Amino acid sequence: MKFVWFHLMPYPDLPKDFPDRYRSVWVDIDPSLYDPAVGHRAYNEYIDQLEFAAGLGFDGVGINEHHSNAYGLMPSPNIIAATLARSTSDAAIVVLGDSVALYNPPIRIAEEMAMLDGISGGRLVAGFPVGSPMDTVFAYGTNPATLRERYHEGMELIRRAWTSDEVFAFNGRYNKLRYVNVWPRPVQKPHPPIWIPGGGSVDTWDYCVDNDLVYCYLSYFGYKAGLATMRGFWDKMAERGKPLNPFQGAFAQFVAVADSEKEAFELYREPAEYFFNSCLHVYAGFADPPGYKTPNTVRAGVEGMVERAAREATARSEAKAADKAADKAADKAADKPTMPKSSSSSQMMSFETMVEKGYVVLGSPDQVISKLREVGTSMNVGHLLTLAHFGNMDNELVRYNTEMLARKVLPEVQPLFENEWEDHWWPRPLPSAQRAEPGR
Amino acid sequence: MSTGTATSAEVSITRRSVDFRGGSVTVVEAGQGPRIGYLHGMVGLPTHGLPPLVAELARDHTVVAPALPGFSGSTYCNDLRVQSDWVVALSEIADLAGLTGLPLVASSVGAMLAMELVAVRPEAFPGLVLLAPLGLWDADEPVADAFATTLSEQRLILSPNRASTAAIFEDDPTLSDPSERIEDGVSRYLTRTSTASLVWPIPEHGLDLRAHLVRCAVTLVWGEEDRLVPPSYDKRFAAVLPSVVGCHRIAGAGHLTDWDAPAEVAAIVRAALG
Repeated sequence: MKFVWFHLMPYPDLPKDFPDRYRSVWVDIDPSLYDPAVGHRAYNEYIDQLEFAAGLGFDGVGINEHHSNAYGLMPSPNIIAATLARSTSDAAIVVLGDSVALYNPPIRIAEEMAMLDGISGGRLVAGFPVGSPMDTVFAYGTNPATLRERYHEGMELIRRAWTSDEVFAFNGRYNKLRYVNVWPRPVQKPHPPIWIPGGGSVDTWDYCVDNDLVYCYLSYFGYKAGLATMRGFWDKMAERGKPLNPFQGAFAQFVAVADSEKEAFELYREPAEYFFNSCLHVYAGFADPPGYKTPNTVRAGVEGMVERAAREATARSEAKAADKAADKAADKAADKPTMPKSSSSSQMMSFETMVEKGYVVLGSPDQVISKLREVGTSMNVGHLLTLAHFGNMDNELVRYNTEMLARKVLPEVQPLFENEWEDHWWPRPLPSAQRAEPGR
Repeated sequence: MSTGTATSAEVSITRRSVDFRGGSVTVVEAGQGPRIGYLHGMVGLPTHGLPPLVAELARDHTVVAPALPGFSGSTYCNDLRVQSDWVVALSEIADLAGLTGLPLVASSVGAMLAMELVAVRPEAFPGLVLLAPLGLWDADEPVADAFATTLSEQRLILSPNRASTAAIFEDDPTLSDPSERIEDGVSRYLTRTSTASLVWPIPEHGLDLRAHLVRCAVTLVWGEEDRLVPPSYDKRFAAVLPSVVGCHRIAGAGHLTDWDAPAEVAAIVRAALG
């Protein structure tokens, strides 16, 4: 099993009462909440953390793209990837990825990823999400009814641009280019491995099955909730008679390791609660714009991941409002003033619940080894996107968690699947003799 | 083309299916009398029966009402990507449905498309009653974003009256078969998709540059409770359209004036289009 140390890059300094005072962490979050000095520090710490993980033996480091979003400070993952391409030497650089439909023309992605593959010596994984509705149709104004068609056309253009031996004309619905000729060319042939991050669309399963691409479920809600979605993908693979190679699957999972389970609960409570209660405070009105889902997904009744996040945030807000109203009524009946409640009131999701539901895999190294093996085997995924940083986690704690994982967990879990299956979707870099030595 | 005829309490209703670009569009024809066209707004046409305004007008008119592609069971059409695609489609459908040459009452997104069509094809409709049309944008008083909201809020943006939006936001109570209910839900989702497609992300596509070509007589109608397109937009439209002959506001009505106040709107239409 390959381990990718994945970073969402959340803004670490949202006010404690953010879910009470603000409507959404995404799309229309108050611009005045962003402190550039905090952002400066966060970016540099986060890049350091990715480099630290790469140096400890994680198979890859991973990043993704979000817009107008306080839990993901990466509108351009390629900028972060460019720094990693220089500062790391062996780890795969997993960009999950560039939202194809938002680039005009999408050959910009083909060019930038070819640059990343070139700088890194062939270590790039090219991820291509359709993108969340918040990023694509709200922050970037793309018509939801045409989003997927734009995406598929862009994908066709990028793959052709990487593989064609000749300059060609591309006459698409959205992209009309007389001369397509991507310079530089990617190091990896025919092109870097392609992973498709998805959030629950059944059509994304079909696309991965049809094109032999990695289906990558970027869930916030852990392996227990993610099982049905991954099973849906594998069922499609089985229907088409394709091998159920676990390396054609990838899954994101929050992980928290300490010497003991008790210590882990103490160490990771605050950042986990910050992430799940503030960073996922998404206004439900942004989660399901008409046309974003395909009729097949509507028919199947599949709930997207951000839709679920928004639904849960709404439920918490409504429960809190109901609670306040009940308190007020009770206080009024008792003829006493209403006392404000702290933000850690009962409607906030507790850390215990997060762990119980599998949102966070937590425990001692032995416990985590056992659970991650379960994650891999139950979901049949050979690539685990490990979220060892979450929420507003302190830099020292990130490093501790990462080091515990690298030294005590990975060696025990990495052999999973490696002897039984070949990973056709992992980068194949240049031989070391041909690799540049950055800085020399 | 398939045809079905029914009779409501007072008017006959014919529902036709007309071939259109590999699929079909539904065309409803109701009542008897001088022919008049109706082009729906954001909620399309109901699966059963008539929109309330059509029922009113059908007392003394023959009303021809097509459902645009993707709306209300008409086949969703992937070819309609930008507004000009929709205008060409409306031109084609107007001919197929027998709408061309009829005076037209059009609502919301339908009104926006009707103006665009008349600008380039003046013979399409000799007179227009426009119910809260989209197509202009004032940054100081912007059109609301109906789709950056929850479903319950969307209903309120469209109309203060729940009954006016039931057909698009609620399950069809006449359907008991689960698979039929699912397909009905998909159909309503596609109606909302088509509406969103017409207004995304800002429902302004340069109409102000072409509005001077809309030379037929235009009557404007707005609900005073319109939370989508502020009622003050009637003045903005009156300023760019050369032949506005009437401007009406209806108390208690929201964006869906044709659903919220059918009798009042029908009276305005009769006076304007005769």
